[in-house]
Amino acid sequence: MNDQNDKPYRVRVRYSKTGNLRFIGHIDTHALFERALRRTKLPVRYTQGFNKRIRLNLASALPLGFISSAEMLDFWLNEPVDAAELRERFQNALPAEIRVLDLYPIENSLPSLQASLLSSDYLISLPEELNENDFIEDFENLLAQDSIPLTRKEKTVDVKPLIFDYTFTKDDSPNLNLKIKLSSTPSGNLRPDDLLKLLEIDPADCMIERIALNFETEEETEKENG
Amino acid sequence: MSKNSLSLIEKILYRVEKPGRYVGGEHNQVVKDWNSTDLKWCLIFPDIYDIGQANLGLAMLYQILNDQGDILAERSFAPWLDMEEQMREHQIPLFSLESKQALSAFDILGFTLPYESIYTNVLNILNLSDIPLLSSERDETFPLIVAGGHACFNPEPIAQFFDAFIIGEGEEVILDLSKVYQDWKKSALSKADLLMMLAQIPGVYVPSLYEVEYHEDGTISSLGPKQDGVPKKVTKRIVAQLPPHPTKFLVPNVGIVHNRMAIEIMRGCTRGCRFCHAGMVNRPVRQRSVEEIIPVIEESVSSTGYEEVGLLSLSSSDHTQILDLTKEVYNNFHEDKLSINLPSLRIASFSLELMDNLKDLKPGGGFTLAPEAATERMRAVINKPLDDEEFYQTVTQIFQKGWRSIKLYYMIGLPTETMEDVEAILQAGIKVKQIGKRIIGGSVKVHLGIASLIPKPHTPFQWLSVEKPDSIQEKLDLLKVGTRKAGIKMSYNIPDSTLLESWLSRGDRRLANVIKSAWEKGAKFDAWGERDNLQIWRAAFEENQLDPEFYSYRQRDLDEILPWDLINIGVSKKFLRRDFEWSQIGRTRQDCRESCFQCGILDSFGDIRPPETIGYWGCP
Repeated sequence: MNDQNDKPYRVRVRYSKTGNLRFIGHIDTHALFERALRRTKLPVRYTQGFNKRIRLNLASALPLGFISSAEMLDFWLNEPVDAAELRERFQNALPAEIRVLDLYPIENSLPSLQASLLSSDYLISLPEELNENDFIEDFENLLAQDSIPLTRKEKTVDVKPLIFDYTFTKDDSPNLNLKIKLSSTPSGNLRPDDLLKLLEIDPADCMIERIALNFETEEETEKENG
Repeated sequence: MSKNSLSLIEKILYRVEKPGRYVGGEHNQVVKDWNSTDLKWCLIFPDIYDIGQANLGLAMLYQILNDQGDILAERSFAPWLDMEEQMREHQIPLFSLESKQALSAFDILGFTLPYESIYTNVLNILNLSDIPLLSSERDETFPLIVAGGHACFNPEPIAQFFDAFIIGEGEEVILDLSKVYQDWKKSALSKADLLMMLAQIPGVYVPSLYEVEYHEDGTISSLGPKQDGVPKKVTKRIVAQLPPHPTKFLVPNVGIVHNRMAIEIMRGCTRGCRFCHAGMVNRPVRQRSVEEIIPVIEESVSSTGYEEVGLLSLSSSDHTQILDLTKEVYNNFHEDKLSINLPSLRIASFSLELMDNLKDLKPGGGFTLAPEAATERMRAVINKPLDDEEFYQTVTQIFQKGWRSIKLYYMIGLPTETMEDVEAILQAGIKVKQIGKRIIGGSVKVHLGIASLIPKPHTPFQWLSVEKPDSIQEKLDLLKVGTRKAGIKMSYNIPDSTLLESWLSRGDRRLANVIKSAWEKGAKFDAWGERDNLQIWRAAFEENQLDPEFYSYRQRDLDEILPWDLINIGVSKKFLRRDFEWSQIGRTRQDCRESCFQCGILDSFGDIRPPETIGYWGCP
């Protein structure tokens, strides 16, 4: 087999993850995509070495229990395949609760998804029984503090610099929604459920959806929001 | 945009460890319209999803039932402790993974019982489903509760909980049972009528139609049917030929034990190891040909995307086409980066040739061998003969091929065993280590896995007492001190951990009360090695005025009526008895493909034996 000597063909996918699959964690999701790619019978590229695995790169771990309309991954093929055919075969191999939203070839030289991820946007659907005015007041008081210490795994950090923008919306829903942009870099990653716990809200009572991943390269960011 | 309309189950799932166990939705899952079929089965493995989902029997029955247009089959497993707590708190009954229906909404609940330590989980599952525990407490409004699997070859300890047992291989009888149930459902007949109808199906045991009487000393004075029209004994069901293998394996979305495709290449074993339950109850030998197996693997890879396949049998080296099979598997699938697992190899240089054929199995991990006993005398007693010279030759070749680690399995507590036999296990380990050191140097690793014998029903050792913990401990101590000194790793079961198995596996009907008491006192997940459970079980025996030692530490008289005598596995009691007597004098039986020892299998099933050209049976 000469496959691994040829130039790889890199493919980027934006996808949604909903329903029961929100209870499937990051490592298991990775395995789910590996097996789905094997089912496609596409000329997928494997890593080198003793334990050959499909070369696959997920942008960011989606916390257990969250749904998303904005996840990203890259995988590589040994030869080019028409994007429309690729999308169809990939989608057909996936469970219904993962939908391919966009799929396109990208340059091999571009940095990895993880390396260029800056922040995530979340839409939090708050519990119906919430006193909305009290919550908004608590939330704004929290953000007005000089620092917001958060303790996770016995480490306390100030998460104030990790909170970028937010808006409260109501739309037609009976409950209050919070849309918020939080830092998602290796040096500063804030999960919205941790923020909710600071406000004494049980994340189990909320539906949390990731609605955008924001990357360093401008053209990629445009593509996300496009 | 998301709306916050979370269901109660969703909220609970957020609070439990590994919620993916409870949501289903796996690739290849079958979800039929709930109202589209008139018979609804729920197949239940009464341990957690992580342990049960890989069970091949479950996969086979799931596919067979769902292939029928008028039947649906869904799955359920035991919830782990955190989930159970949430379910009880919020009064959520146990539900199926496919359509999240409460188990009580199904027509038939089919439990898979591969071992005894999950009996308490069965009761917990019935209770979580608001279903009474005893068959006699359930009328027509409750689902029919049936069980199958290896533990059911002695169904007596759990006889009162189940309406019927499937004895033996389920592939055909499960459809016979379904048909009878469908006919009954259309009629206006009672549950008693249904049980009588079920008892007419070959391979189905309806325990409530039988009665057992006891002598004053606790042994059985008589057992048999209560009324006419019920078979005196129930002969297990077998399939004359292995049916088409399932290929649409469910692909779990969370990590589980044995997360791979399992392909059964052969059923049954002709070796006749005297301690081996599987070897006795799964006769005769039937195998799948290379021509049948290769397309099954191919279809399974396409339908699952799995990266690993296990080729399962009780003794892979005895498949008559095993060399061709391994070559073909390699040729067909190495480009798919499929890793191949071939367990249960015999100790012979032949096994290395097999490993060579699967070239991708590079010497990375360890090589496992199971001599079971270390002296030729002891090996004659258990009928697992092995020439010492061949053993050490095989070990030498394994190291020469580059393996750095060997795991050796041995048993202790065998009949007629002396300290010399135990010392010989240690010496064998030391010698293997020396051989390894000479060939590959100081990095060699030798690992002894020590199990103690639990005599099983329907084996030539079924009359034996279990060896008592004191002398087992003495033997373990000898091995522990010796292996530590020699730099050999050793793993073993603490003597207490096998007690429950030794009480339940050869138990009688009276144990139902003990199992019920133990569950009431909080016993569940007994296979998980919780030490406190043993105290619960002792108390449960006491409460019911039964002595656990009656079941474990008692040499049965050869003429005693045994609780499982109602079940005919095809191998006759006469044969087992003669084999037991031969073990006492160290007389072996060779592989019975060479010459027939009249075990009885041909008397029971000779009439359905296909010609050799169509289906291989090992019998000469």
